[in-house]
Formats: sequence, C-alpha cells, structure tokens
Amino acid sequence: MVSVFKKYSFKDLIKKLFAEYSYWLSFILLLVLAVSVNTNFLRWSNIINIFVQTATTGIIALGMSMVISAGQIDISVGAQVAIISGLGIVVLNFTNSIWLMFAFCLLLGTVIGSLNGLMVAKGNMPAMIATLAMQSICRSLINQWGQGGPFTVSNANFDTFRLIAAGSIRIFGFKIPYPMIMFIVFSILFGIIMRQTKLGKHIYAVGSNSNSARLAGVNVKGIQIIVFMITGLLCGFSGWLYASRVMAVAAASAGNAYEMEVIAAVAIGGTSMTGGRGKIIGTFLGALMFKIINNILTMADVPTFLNGAISGAIIIVAVLLQNVQNKSK
Amino acid sequence: MLIEMKGIVKDFGPVRAVDHIDFTVDSGEIIGLLGENGAGKTTLMNVLAGTFPPDEGEIFIDKNKVHISNALHAMRMGIRFIHQEISLCNDLRVFENIFLSEEILRKNGLLDKKEMISRCLKVFERMQVHIDPNAIVATLQPAERQLVEIARALLFKCDLIIMDEPSTALATKEIHRLFDIMRQLKTEGVSFIYISHKMPELFEICDIYYIMRDGKLVAHGKFADIDEQQATELMIGRHLADEEFLNKPYYGKDEVVLSVKNFSGQSFFDINFDLHKGEILAITGLQGSGRDLLADALFGAEAYTGSLEVKNSALKPGSTIIDHMKNGIGMVPRSRKERGIHNDLSIYDNISMAFFNTKFRRILIDNRRERERFLREQKALSIKTDQPKNPITSLSGGNQQKVILGRWLEADADILLFDNPTQGIDVGTKFEIYRLIIDLAKKGKAIIVFSSEFPEIHKVADACIVLYKGRVNARLNREEITEMSLMYYSTGANLEAVKNG
Repeated sequence: MVSVFKKYSFKDLIKKLFAEYSYWLSFILLLVLAVSVNTNFLRWSNIINIFVQTATTGIIALGMSMVISAGQIDISVGAQVAIISGLGIVVLNFTNSIWLMFAFCLLLGTVIGSLNGLMVAKGNMPAMIATLAMQSICRSLINQWGQGGPFTVSNANFDTFRLIAAGSIRIFGFKIPYPMIMFIVFSILFGIIMRQTKLGKHIYAVGSNSNSARLAGVNVKGIQIIVFMITGLLCGFSGWLYASRVMAVAAASAGNAYEMEVIAAVAIGGTSMTGGRGKIIGTFLGALMFKIINNILTMADVPTFLNGAISGAIIIVAVLLQNVQNKSK
Repeated sequence: MLIEMKGIVKDFGPVRAVDHIDFTVDSGEIIGLLGENGAGKTTLMNVLAGTFPPDEGEIFIDKNKVHISNALHAMRMGIRFIHQEISLCNDLRVFENIFLSEEILRKNGLLDKKEMISRCLKVFERMQVHIDPNAIVATLQPAERQLVEIARALLFKCDLIIMDEPSTALATKEIHRLFDIMRQLKTEGVSFIYISHKMPELFEICDIYYIMRDGKLVAHGKFADIDEQQATELMIGRHLADEEFLNKPYYGKDEVVLSVKNFSGQSFFDINFDLHKGEILAITGLQGSGRDLLADALFGAEAYTGSLEVKNSALKPGSTIIDHMKNGIGMVPRSRKERGIHNDLSIYDNISMAFFNTKFRRILIDNRRERERFLREQKALSIKTDQPKNPITSLSGGNQQKVILGRWLEADADILLFDNPTQGIDVGTKFEIYRLIIDLAKKGKAIIVFSSEFPEIHKVADACIVLYKGRVNARLNREEITEMSLMYYSTGANLEAVKNG
C-alpha cells in the first residue's frame, strides 16, 4: 500500500509544468525580456519600486482570486478603494488617529463587500450586475462628497501618515518598504487559506460545482458572501495604503481601472475564470507581471493612455491561453 | 427511405455503450426498440440523429454512405429525434419553439408569425389537441410540452421520427391519438423508431422489434412472432452473474435507525417507513413519481413536512443538509457529474469534502491526514488510481462513484442514501458497487437505494417501496420483487383497475 503513488515520468512532468505552472514560465520569460530592455531592471531600487506599485492592487487581487475561484466576479473594487480612501482621510483629519482610520477603512470595506455578497447570494443577482451597480454607487457617493476637490491629508497628520506607504525597514542592509512586506505577508496568508484550510477547499468546491458542493454539505451561500466580504476587507486595507501613498485622494480618478488590473493579475496567474481552479502564488506573480509589463512599456515610451488597451489585451490573451490548455487536456 | 446502420460502436470512456450494432429501417416501418435502462438504446439513436458521431461503423441512406455531423444535418436528411427529456425553451412561445431554427420569413426578411401560427394550429388540429400556439411554454403542463415536441416533428417533412419514451408524460387518451397519427403517417411512408418499456404499447403500434442488452443487439424480428413474455425474457436475459446475489442474506437488525412519518414534500405525500440497521431498502417509481425529490428531502436538500427520527433524535422541517449530515445521513447523489463530483478538485479533496464539514476541527489541513483518509477508502472500496492528487475526472465513472461513497464513509454516515448509484457505469463496476452496498449493510449501515432499474433492485434490496404519483403504492419484500410486480405497481395498474372496475 505504500508504493501506490506512481512517480511522474519526465513527459508527465513537462506536461504538468505547462498545465499547472505556466505562470512561472511566463514570469521568467517576462523577467528576461525586462532585463534585456532595461539593464537596471534587477537593481534593488527598481525591484522594491515594482513591489510598492503592485501592493495596492496586488492585495486586492488576493481577494479577487477567492471571488473568481468561487465562480463569481467583483468589478466594484476600484470604486471601493476610492470611497474608502476618500472617507478614510476625512476620518483621519477628524480624529488625528491613523489607527482609527485603519479600523474605519476595514469596516467600510467589509460592509460594502458584505452587501455585494448578500446581493449575489441572497438576492440571486448575477455578480457582474450587483458589483457594477455597487461600483456606480460608490463612485457617485464619493464624487458627491468631494464636490470635485480632492480629499487631502491635513498637515497635522502628514508626516506620520505618509510613512505607511513610504516607510521601510532595513534587513541585512536591504531596504524593505512596508507595502512590500504587507503584500508578501498577505500573499502567504492567503496562500495558506486557499491551500490548507476548510474555507479554501470550500471556495474551490463551490466554484467548481455548486450543486455538488451543496450536496456535500457546503454552505454555498455562506461561501459566496464571505468571498465578497474578504475582498471588501482587502479593499479597505488597500484603500488605507493608497491614501497614504497619494496623500490627496481625487474622488473621480482614485482607484480608476483597478478592477481591470486586479482581474488581469488573477487571469495571468492561471486562475480559471469559471471558478474551481487557481493558485495564490499565480495571482502573486500575476500582479507583479502586470506591473513589470507596465514598467517595460514605460521604458519603451508607450503612452500611459494605452495602459487600458494593454491590460484588456493581457486579459484576453491570458484567458484564451487558459482555454487552449483546458481543451488540450 | 432506407436507413442502414452497420457495425456501430460508441464508447463513453471505459464504457462501451453501443457494441457493433447493425440496424435497418425501411420506409413505412414502425420499429420498437427495447432494452433495460442503460442498454444503449438512446445512445444508438443519438448516433443516428447526429448528436454525436460513432466511434466505429457506417450509416447508409438509400445505399449511399452518409456522415451525420449534427442534429440540424440529421433534420435536413429527414431524421427527427424527439428526446426523452423535453428540450423546449421555456421562455419562448409554443410556435416559436416549434419553428426554432426553421423560422418562416416574409419577403422583407421579418418573421411571418401568421403563417407559423396557422401551421401550428393545423398540426394541433390533426393531433386533436388544444394548445394555444401563442402560449409561453413555461405555462404548459408536462403532457402538453411533450405534445409540442411531437408536433415539432410532425410539422416538417421527414422520413424517420425517433421517439424516446414519448408516452411517460401522456395519458392513455393522448397516447391513442398519437398512435392514430403514427398509423396515418406510416401509410404516407414515414418510419418510426419507438423506444419504450411498456409492452402493451409496443405490441399495439410496432411492426418490428430490436432488443438491446448491455450495448449489444440480442434479437430482432417481427412482433407478430413473439409474445410479451418472450420479449421480456430477451430484454432481461439470463444474467449468470445474478446467481451471486440470489441468496443474499438479510443483515437487518431489530434496531430502527431511521423512522419516517407523515413525510410530505413538493411531489411526494404522506410517506411512512422504518429503516433498520443493516437493512437495504429500495425505493422505486417512474419519472415524476416523486422519487428524486424524496431522496433529496431525506438528505435535507429539499423542503419537507412531517417527521424524520434518526436514532431517536428528531429532525424537523427546515433542517439543513448539515443537520442531516450530523445525524449520520449521507447521500451519493444521482447525476454524478452535475451533483456529485467536483471536476476541478483532486481525488483527495473530493473524498474529504463531507469530512471537512462535519468532523474537521483544526485550522490547517494536514496533507498526511488527507492521504490517510484516501488510503483507507482506497483499501475499503478498491479505488483504482495511482495518482490521488490528480483531478477526479482522471477516474472512470465507477471509481468516481466510489470516491463519492468514500466521502460519506469518512464522514461516518450510518444511513446511506444511494440515488441512482450506477448511472453511466459499466456492467463490471456496477456489480462491484452492488457488492459494496451489500458489504456496507453487513457492517451495520442502513441503506436506501433509489433506483428505476429492476436488476439493481433485485440484486441488493431486502424490501422495496414502489411510489406512484408521489404516494407509496406498494411495499414489497424480497420475494415479491419481480420485474412484473415493480412495473405493475409503479404504473399504478392496480389503482386504475379499481377505478375501472
């Protein structure tokens, strides 16, 4: 009974590598490309720069991984970041406490996420429609509140608050910014949740086949609510970090197109867009890849207006490749 | 038109559903296609109607070799298939359904509704049915929907109409009208292939029989030359392997583990029975007898009223699946692909899914324990795989079913509900599953098998409840379970007799 598990043959291994770890391959290819375009690419300052840029969207992408693995989608994340960071600054200026602001951001995100989840699970709304409506509501409310002007952190809090995004610690002489630490720690945490907890297994089960999941005793509606809730919570965290990075939140443009970046990260990371399959490490690399591509394009003097076209193209290519892979199985 | 199928083979994974079949239909013939559930009748007809291509074999129409590539193609060649499951679009109107993909257009390219509706009315008139062509299909009764399906086939010029158990949803009167139409079309040269289990109907309308068993053609000839008894024997065959199950001992104990009282739901009413430790109870009934919903309700997946006592603790209406699971009820659901397995998940995860819900008390899942759970079930159920980290779809249907069963054994279920457990499973593995079921009873599990297959019920059941229109029509003990008795009670023949008498 010990030797029941056959060793993979070399051919199997190669197949498996392509099928399940394709995001590693694309990541390595992209690194080679990046280094060849920009010889300074591998300098520590550039690496941490990419991590800091990735952190805000990357953290949300972890939640989006859950949502998509459960067979849903959330396109309200960008607008959530806008309303959370904007109102967060209002709270900060009023209380002068970055931790009260922190609590407020998490709470607001969780509430918005729960509403999304309730609409989908209890109201039987398609996630695309529910979160589209939520996106519109959040963006409109924060625009109304801001009346065109930005939400600016008051001078009293300026120096302490900016340290969240700009601060760093030194380990063995390497400067490691806080956002980089946050992104990595969250990624590890979510990796463990998805791989090794009941919640993770249930999320995949619901995304794979909600009927089977229900008949195995999984609380399908509960799982649907919780994935949106967690994504909202992460939007809260990310909104807090975003506010610190920009210090002045413009209601109309804050978090703009984040949903595209986040969904693109999940797609490049190999998560199945129909649910049931995916890995957090894929999303982690996917989020980084997205910024690396941006980085390369900036080097190549591609206008920033074209970013949207490029992220759209990335999603299309990534998902088409997934479909090809699934067919060849 | 002369249609000949030669050497047709169709495999579904390891299951050979159709095994080298030769089949001929001439103009104006009505052919009865007989066979038990799973004999391969529908698969053979699907090949003919272009639903999927055969793996081997050739089809000739009037001596010309043809490749029927899809359903539309088959229709163009004059072959119409009326499926057993009604395949209408519920949100569309009756005439829109009938003319779907064959809409009549006016000269300006817009739909000619008037013409379509008037043609519908003509066909309905011929069938002597009163259905409004403008009605939304969702508002029709099941029998009316079946008639719309039939009308769809009759409306267009065609040479062969295949009907897969068309009479299940129809009342006697409607069946006779259908037969009248068939006879009339027959004189016009139209042929029919009629799939049914109901001997009287087959003998009434069909000229020629083809009998299939386990994917093979076992006999064909003229109905005039045989009687019902012979047809039944040919259909069932002498299963040699049956003998193994003939003297199955009764492992039931006195202890009642599940007591069902005044149990009612959407399509079943006032069900009462006791299930003992070690007992195997079969529950059968035709499609629409409430069997499916009863199975789901016993597992808490459908709403019910009445009481359900499990080992003296009562489950109340409104209890969830989890409540039922915690009381030791497990279910191997019907339609494994849609309701049992998780395609994307590994064999490990599929086996542990119910365990996670009832017994898992830790924060992190330990790979070593998952592996232990798998090895235990692999040994107990002889699941054939060497790579349990692979997706469950890498297994054959029978082995997938064992994984689902293992799921409930790992969750320590004492009452196991098997809903149509051998659907789409090859014959050899079917027997393995029967042995497992009996073995589990021997170990003291209480078991209910929901099934429509007589051979299955006959092999494993200690007793059988027959449902008719949602109510218990008969409770048979092991000696009384025969194909005749099951058919008699599940068609409600006993009740009709009383009414007419």
